[in-house]
Amino acid sequence: MARQKPAPKFLNLLLIKLPPGGIASIGHRISGVLMFLSIPLLAWLFGLSLENAQGFQQARQHLHSTPVMLLSVLLVWSFSHHLLAGIRHLLLDVEIGLDKAAARLSAWLVNLGALLATAWYAVNLL
Amino acid sequence: MSRAAQGLRAWLLQRFTAIYLALYLVSVLSYGAVRDSFSYSEWRSWLGEPGIGVATALFALAILLHVWVGIRDVLIDYIHAVWLRLLLMAATALVLLTSLLWIVRALTLAAIGSID
Repeated sequence: MARQKPAPKFLNLLLIKLPPGGIASIGHRISGVLMFLSIPLLAWLFGLSLENAQGFQQARQHLHSTPVMLLSVLLVWSFSHHLLAGIRHLLLDVEIGLDKAAARLSAWLVNLGALLATAWYAVNLL
Repeated sequence: MSRAAQGLRAWLLQRFTAIYLALYLVSVLSYGAVRDSFSYSEWRSWLGEPGIGVATALFALAILLHVWVGIRDVLIDYIHAVWLRLLLMAATALVLLTSLLWIVRALTLAAIGSID
């Protein structure tokens, strides 16, 4: 029997075509890391908002500043993608939607749903 | 505990905390979306309520556990230099514990303040 060829190493990230499930999966990781990185800022804002009336006003001003607004768009994508991909993951764990067509469809719904939620949020922000 | 059982424990922890985080965040965010704006005293007395305060402290704890398992997986997958992986894991633990304690401190202040 011929020796199996080694798996090709192909690491040009711009040319790799990920299937929808792959996009949902790497998006799940990226969104999780983004939310983790924003925890210190959010915890600080939360503490500030409860400190006293002045802190509450300051926290509110920070929330309405341009950088935080831009960050919030990113976090809305992160949260909605992470939530949808997480629900898909839990359903796959209990063997719902395991066959290829269903898994592809649910991955599409996750990827698209998160983008739609983000677009809806961003439009409402304007 | 065997290595396999440790993995199973982390796997289960990730899923149980995920369900709680989802339920808490979806209910709080939809409640917040319905109520347009609120004053400082409303915000503070709401978070000072025992039920909300405990649910929120539990939420912060669930985030800590959930993020720990997730970030640990990511670091194990992508960071192969052991010293750097350990350094980043320690930094992650420090950030998570500090944030948790900061949130619990704020919740405690809100709870004490609402008694008067």
